[in-house]
Amino acid sequence: MDARYVLVGNSAASLAAVDWIRKYDREGRILLVNREPGPAYSRVALPYYVAGEMTLEDLWIRTPRDYEEKGVELLDAAPVVAVDPEARKISLADGRSVGYEKLLLATGSECVAPPVSGLSEVPVHYLWTLEDARGLKAAAEKARTGLVIGGGFIGMLAAEALRKLRIRLTIVEMAPQLLPQLLDEEGGKRFGEAVRDEGVTLELGTTVRTLARKPSGEIEAELGNGRKVVVDLVVVAAGVRPNLSCVTPEVCEIGRGILVDEFLRTSRPGIFAAGDVAEVVDFLGGGQRVLHAIWPSAVEQGRIAGANMTGRQIAYDGSLGMNVVELFHVTLAQIGRFREGPGDDVKLLGGGRGDAYRKIVVDRDGVVVGAMYLGDAHGVAEMGVVHSWIRRRARWKDFERHHQPRFTYALTVRDVPEVRT
Amino acid sequence: MKQIVVHQEKCTACRECELACSFSHEGVFNPALSRIRVNDFYEEQFYLPLTCVHCADMPCGTVCPTVAIRRDPDGTVRVLEERCIGCKMCLLACPFGVMGFAPERGVAQNCDLCGGDPECVKFCVPGALEFAEVETDAKAKQKFFASVVHRALAGT
Ligand SMILES: Cc1cc2nc3c(=O)[nH]c(=O)nc-3n(C[C@H](O)[C@H](O)[C@H](O)COP(=O)(O)OP(=O)(O)OC[C@H]3O[C@@H](n4cnc5c(N)ncnc54)[C@H](O)[C@@H]3O)c2cc1C
Ligand code: SF4
Ligand code: SF4
Repeated sequence: MDARYVLVGNSAASLAAVDWIRKYDREGRILLVNREPGPAYSRVALPYYVAGEMTLEDLWIRTPRDYEEKGVELLDAAPVVAVDPEARKISLADGRSVGYEKLLLATGSECVAPPVSGLSEVPVHYLWTLEDARGLKAAAEKARTGLVIGGGFIGMLAAEALRKLRIRLTIVEMAPQLLPQLLDEEGGKRFGEAVRDEGVTLELGTTVRTLARKPSGEIEAELGNGRKVVVDLVVVAAGVRPNLSCVTPEVCEIGRGILVDEFLRTSRPGIFAAGDVAEVVDFLGGGQRVLHAIWPSAVEQGRIAGANMTGRQIAYDGSLGMNVVELFHVTLAQIGRFREGPGDDVKLLGGGRGDAYRKIVVDRDGVVVGAMYLGDAHGVAEMGVVHSWIRRRARWKDFERHHQPRFTYALTVRDVPEVRT
Repeated sequence: MKQIVVHQEKCTACRECELACSFSHEGVFNPALSRIRVNDFYEEQFYLPLTCVHCADMPCGTVCPTVAIRRDPDGTVRVLEERCIGCKMCLLACPFGVMGFAPERGVAQNCDLCGGDPECVKFCVPGALEFAEVETDAKAKQKFFASVVHRALAGT
């Protein structure tokens, strides 16, 4: 079963790695090992599946034929339990082992269980895997009321899916606002109002202290602020962390995630890491490493790791945090450093479509380093333009006279842009 | 491949192209639904129609988490609406800001070149739009496209 390229995981990062391995090496054997069964599905689409807007078939992003055409062998339902870097082998849960020349660890994220007493004694749902989504969907079809623990990205996606199923919701978020990773204070305030307008109960700045099952089968939650909520269904979305299920510090250096250099190499020769599990170079500099659990970064890193596994030397210019989502009829987007730090300058712009909230963050050298948008679905396209400015480390002064009424590529082309390939 | 070439200096911002696009795709005259957009800088009297340039490296397609953006054999970058979940990552990825969104259908939409006979070009009376062969190499294509704007902005 040994292969020149062994890739652990079958999602964004691994699939991108396959594409770029094949760009440079048409022959070398590729083996994808995944603990989940079946071909790859889109994690990002899971909430739409829960809401009944997509069928199971819609979720697949690869068919068995796609693997065949790329010359990839897929070993599914096969959890990897250990890596032996000396022998260049991985061990599977069923006792088999597989030798590799180059190994990619792309095991993604896993959900964090918050410290809530009674959490393991009541039925709760997470939302990361297809299996999670199936369980949540089945439960949601019978539920009338629900509690979402965590008002972050995944929590809000789960909430949106449940709301579409007409479930009455309470969302509990520890921070004083929703989406603290995605919105600044003002954005959070506006968004919170939009969510409340939809009839959702928000409990902000507090946590769930205990969960208990009532004789009726319902679940009672007691909050830190003393309130009690009784619901049919509980979703836990208290954050994610890198899934380190098959590595130990003996295999390679681990920080919060698997530490990699700008070539996506771990500290161990022959082993690469990419995607959510990797702690990578920060695009915004400072020599820091960041953890970004986002699809675009997983794809970028997978590609570069794949290329470098074939012997290329492509450097990654770093992960740039970004997100866009439409929730409760509001589209919000964020790129880079959207919360200003010391020395940063903030440009709040009017004149967008409708009453959109548009903010640009410029660092002390005048370089555009972040942006935030809250408004209608259409207007978010201009954030694509700002994204390209940030990627090119463009200066604000080159655009400011022109920023009204909206950002357009017309502003960007004063110098001919580099095309990223 | 053949695509929509913009002669910026001829554009008068009459927006006939927007109306033609909206009508042919959506059956209504609504500039907001157009896949080509005339960017206007009235103070500078600078108008630039922009639409999808069907990039070779396709940043929109690279990020799409449901593989809903594909390239047709003729080079057209196409959104497969039945696969699109409306996550808008492609809007955030398009450096030209020309990936659009159809709120009623909840899907992304870009210029589809009307299957090879673009309506906007037909209705552009001043001749600012042309359907012509351009180099397929991404860099050459974008350079060409950019140079049009560059020239116009150089004096401002
Ligand atoms: C509901 C939801 C919505 C999201 N929406 C967005 C969004 O709108 N925008 C965005 O940018 N991101 C979004 N994300 C995040 C995005 O899905 C992830 O960033 C992305 O999937 C990361 O890709 P990855 O390949 O690094 O890891 P993952 O997608 O987590 O895949 C990890 C793979 O490794 C496998 N694996 C793990 N451990 C083992 C093991 N021990 N042995 C074998 N195989 C193993 C898993 O089975 C899986 O195939 C969303 C995530 C979820 C859950
Ligand atoms: S939508 Fe934008 S990124 Fe995608 S092909 Fe068109 S111009 Fe390029
Ligand atoms: S909006 Fe549709 S086409 Fe665009 S990235 Fe999301 S799923 Fe893909």
